[in-house]
Amino acid sequence: MNEISILMYMLSRKKSIQQIGATKKEILKSLNIKNKNKSVYFQDLLTGLSKYLEPLGLQINFNSLNSHWFIIYDNELTELISANPFEGRPSLSATLLCVLTSCLKNSGHTSFQEIRMLRNKKDVKDDIKILEKEGFLEIDKKTTNIRLTPLIGYKLDLQKLFVRLALKLKE
Amino acid sequence: MKVEELDLSEKINKRIALIKDEVLSGKINLLDLQLNPIFSEIKDSISIYNIENYSQSYRNAVELLNQKFEELKNLLSSLDIEKKFEDFLKTNPNEAQISDLFRGCWRKIFHFEPISMKFLDYASNRYVKERLTNFNIEHLIREKTNDQFLLEVPKFKFTEKISAFYEKIYKKLPCFFEDVFDNELDQIEIYEQFIYLLHLLQLGKVKYQKDTNTLYL
Repeated sequence: MNEISILMYMLSRKKSIQQIGATKKEILKSLNIKNKNKSVYFQDLLTGLSKYLEPLGLQINFNSLNSHWFIIYDNELTELISANPFEGRPSLSATLLCVLTSCLKNSGHTSFQEIRMLRNKKDVKDDIKILEKEGFLEIDKKTTNIRLTPLIGYKLDLQKLFVRLALKLKE
Repeated sequence: MKVEELDLSEKINKRIALIKDEVLSGKINLLDLQLNPIFSEIKDSISIYNIENYSQSYRNAVELLNQKFEELKNLLSSLDIEKKFEDFLKTNPNEAQISDLFRGCWRKIFHFEPISMKFLDYASNRYVKERLTNFNIEHLIREKTNDQFLLEVPKFKFTEKISAFYEKIYKKLPCFFEDVFDNELDQIEIYEQFIYLLHLLQLGKVKYQKDTNTLYL
């Protein structure tokens, strides 16, 4: 087994619905890399692997919400596959955006009340429950506080979303 | 030093490579780094005598500058982002408009669920073991043949062979089963004759008594 096969395994494994891929620390441990230039070596490994993956329509990506490196299909393939988990359910997209906005404002958590206000809708319970079931958020049973899970960092290109938002506001 | 001897391209390339390494390892942030000195150095030391060597240095420096722009773009887009989201929601967008905002931002994750590390390890070991096995490949000895290949047809027909065998054994009968092949030493011949005997039994020309292990007419 070489570095490429170990990296492929680590970057494409699903530990749970919200934990896909591996952290830098986990990868370095698996490859037994301990020298002082390990970060440079790590970057070289990822760059090397990405060159192999590119012709297959795959890319290496980083989820900043849980510091996991993982693999995604490239833009061209993603368009063909239809990656939108809320296809035909725009209500869920709208609620998710409100949760995201509110969590950014309140350092990571929000409430049903806040979502109702932002969403301008009386009942958001069903949407929240579905989003929870699909792994996008978690609800604290005691406080009913809502917080986003790292899944959004995998499924959404947040940087791209921010740019689209800025462009939309400019219009 | 004479102007035509001055060539700092290699030094600049090394410096850029070092910066790249330090950025990758997280030691420095490109946004905190001044790139002006590098460009000034290129500008001040470039001449018609060394311009060929400087093209790579200039390319490396521009690459670094692009990287810095990219980081700056990311920083600017993430600044005050929650306010931007709020401003957008204040415009009272409908669900379809919000959905449209996400267009092109969804990603499809690639993952292999059923393959465990244990399995990969096992598969790898097995593969290596199988590859290491030494097989002796021996070349076949080529038989000399005539140029023309002809399918050889037996000299006698099968029925003629059975009849010949019957002629040979009928004087012996009745006898024990083994006695029919008594004089024969060649295994192939015995097998061939056994086939004839089976046919004779099927045709009813020879009979067999199991209790006494006897063949008779």
